[in-house]
Amino acid sequence: MAIMGTFVFEEDFLAAAENLKSSGFDNISLLSPLPLEEAQEVLGLGKSPVRRFSLAGAMIGGAAGFAMCVATALVFILPTGGRAIIALPSYLVITYEMTILLGVLFTLLGFHIISGLPAWHDEPYTESAGIDRFVVVVEGTDGEQAARAEAIIRGAGAEEIQHVEEKS
Amino acid sequence: MSTFVEKLKAYSKPGYYDEFDYHWTMTIDLDRCTGCEACVVACQAENNLPIVGEKRIARNREIKWIRIERYWEGDFPDVKMGFIPMLCQQCDDAPCETVCPVFATYHNQDGLNTQIYNRCIGTRSCAIYCPYEVRYFNWFTYTWDEPLEQQLNPDVSVREKGVMEKCTFCIQRIRIAKDKAKDDDQRRVRDGEVVPACVQGCPTEAMVFGDSNDPEAKVSKMMKNPRGYAVLEELNTTPSIVYLKKAHA
Amino acid sequence: MKAQETMFDQGQPSYADVNKDVLSSMLETGPRYWVLLGTTMSVAVICFFMPWVYQLFVGIGAAGMNRNAVWGTYISNFIFWIGLSHSGTLLSAVLHITNSQWRKSIYRSAEAMTLFSLMTAALFIMVHVGRVWFVHWTFPIPNPMGLWPNFRSPLMFDVMAITTYLTASSIFIYMGSVPDFAAVRDASTGLRRRLYTIFSFGWRGTAKEWHTLGWAYTFFAVFVIPLAVSVHSIVSWDFALSIVPGLHHTIFAPYFVCGAIYSGTAGIVTVMYCLRKFLGFEKYIGQVHLDNLGKLLIALSLIWSYINILELFSTWYGGTSFEIEALKFRLTGFYAPLYWEMILFCAFVPLLMLFKKFRLSWNKMLVISILINIGMLTERFIIVATSLPRKFLPNAFGFYFPSWVEISITIGSFAIFATLFLIFIKWVPAVSIYEVKETLKPLRRDA
Repeated sequence: MAIMGTFVFEEDFLAAAENLKSSGFDNISLLSPLPLEEAQEVLGLGKSPVRRFSLAGAMIGGAAGFAMCVATALVFILPTGGRAIIALPSYLVITYEMTILLGVLFTLLGFHIISGLPAWHDEPYTESAGIDRFVVVVEGTDGEQAARAEAIIRGAGAEEIQHVEEKS
Repeated sequence: MSTFVEKLKAYSKPGYYDEFDYHWTMTIDLDRCTGCEACVVACQAENNLPIVGEKRIARNREIKWIRIERYWEGDFPDVKMGFIPMLCQQCDDAPCETVCPVFATYHNQDGLNTQIYNRCIGTRSCAIYCPYEVRYFNWFTYTWDEPLEQQLNPDVSVREKGVMEKCTFCIQRIRIAKDKAKDDDQRRVRDGEVVPACVQGCPTEAMVFGDSNDPEAKVSKMMKNPRGYAVLEELNTTPSIVYLKKAHA
Repeated sequence: MKAQETMFDQGQPSYADVNKDVLSSMLETGPRYWVLLGTTMSVAVICFFMPWVYQLFVGIGAAGMNRNAVWGTYISNFIFWIGLSHSGTLLSAVLHITNSQWRKSIYRSAEAMTLFSLMTAALFIMVHVGRVWFVHWTFPIPNPMGLWPNFRSPLMFDVMAITTYLTASSIFIYMGSVPDFAAVRDASTGLRRRLYTIFSFGWRGTAKEWHTLGWAYTFFAVFVIPLAVSVHSIVSWDFALSIVPGLHHTIFAPYFVCGAIYSGTAGIVTVMYCLRKFLGFEKYIGQVHLDNLGKLLIALSLIWSYINILELFSTWYGGTSFEIEALKFRLTGFYAPLYWEMILFCAFVPLLMLFKKFRLSWNKMLVISILINIGMLTERFIIVATSLPRKFLPNAFGFYFPSWVEISITIGSFAIFATLFLIFIKWVPAVSIYEVKETLKPLRRDA
């Protein structure tokens, strides 16, 4: 079962989140209508792994771009304008573009993998979280744990508390 | 390993070719040129040049692979006139070849700047890059009225709209000569066997064509003439046409 | 990073107000919108597509180009639209990296401008090329001929750069809009709700999602900035890598990039005016934005003028006969009035923005921004029309004048851009809901 606590004020929301975290609840989601750095800090999210995808994409893009230029130039030898067949200045430009292209595409892939989007299953959500309310969701609790979580949330000044059946 | 290094060296060499198989060169003696435009007509007949029409030529859309440029000084009757036949210079460092995105123009092993009509997608950037303005675009699909289509040369293709074309040094005649030489005991093409249409049509024999790799060829000897110069030399396009300066009285 | 001072002329809206205002611009449509959309689509079809089809049947000869000026308005318009596309990148990406606050309400529409300008520019390539049914040969697609494109060619740099820019811009604007698609999903019903559920990927706004999006978005911005600089440099190299006097200048790459950002920022001012007027976004786009855009335009105008002076001076000082001839034709030839009009609109008129009276007035800024873009469109045209007829051989000099087909297609391209933008404002929130919320002072219990 999941407990959803809706808060009007950001400070209450953050206090509840910190409280829950320090009380040992791990499976917390913090929903907000705008990005909150403090909320991300509470959850201990430091540097995102997305950056690894970007780096990998850029490196692969650079290598692939250059390889594409050289490989396609060697299929038929067609000298143009007194230039070399493997003309490094020209290929540098193509390599640069491919670096950026694959960097962007891999970053996109990384975003989807890391964030878990698209969300294939229904997750606890309330529409006011997208407008002006801050929502704390504690998942995977039942009985005594749930009561404790609820107490913390109520103590922080929640406007509304909901119990949501989780689909496994 | 060594062939890999050799290959790498070859691919990094500007222009790729150490030496051309036949280095087709032309000399044009401007002293002999009378501006009669027989070369223009001969080229039109040999290479299936389209008949553009008076209206369109007035809008600067002519297709003349070789054109006579007229330069004059003074007023009638004391006019000093000069003629320069301007055709594709078949530059070894051709600026036009570098910019074609689909390899429709490239330098072949005979030192010719080839144009592949089938590959051309008509970006027209080669015409921008050419300093001599010798590239011509098919703005429309031109047709020949009867019975002019009977005169078309079967050795040369006909171009549709959207394709760039230019002088090819009558590559069809070069190919026929090379084929004949190959059949005839695998020999080399002899001097005088390949005569482009313009050279053939010139009444004053102002144009000489041949393989400058062959030291005995007439063109090699003509090239050594002290009157020889290349048009727009300072652009470093290394053209394959040597003009012999007109001697002024 | 919350803005401590309010940027809103009419007082701070609440979070719910932001959702309501922005979403109502999307979800409520009056007859005026349909009339406008119908008009732009008709103009696009009549002025762009029909002459283009005519040209496809008859040949490029339907345009005004000739043996010298084989490039004409199609290329100059292409460059203009690519230039206009740099607006979004600058505003969105550069100002995101520098953490500027005033960009937050206007960057979404600026990014949309980028995307649609790029699409219009790509259309111009299709119109320009002689055999457009083979244009796919410029892409490295495996084929039975075993033929590949010539990657040494400046035009191929162009192909790769624009493909990359289109891809990166689309991804950039889409990913930045995902939380807003979620807002649309929550506020709608029926088919729209289902569509936006798909578009938003089931976004909930968890801290993890925001975290990942923030990092990904920053990386997109970091990639897109050098990309934008390279794209317009590469486009300039279509000209600068030729040996044509008047085009073969090393200053072209910075010149074009500066001109692009300049033209794009002026375009943003025009679009912002329209957004305020037609979608009622006066609350979110105010004096702060106008002021900052104005200052940006002044800076860019000065840089642009500087580069022009450099070009003129170095051409004149070098004294090569070819260059001097090209310069004379540009400054005193047939198109001299256009050249001087360009100087007036792009170098002198923007100086009026040094005065607050001009810089802070929406109507005056609208006029100035349109004049700047007219000047920039003229500049692209001048580059093509005055350098190509004056190359090297005097016997081969010529003249270029656009035909009715080209003029019609130019007009039609603006209609296409307008159509795409009109469709955009009904499918994507034109103001970024969550970023505007970031600029608002958070609600405090003791307030």
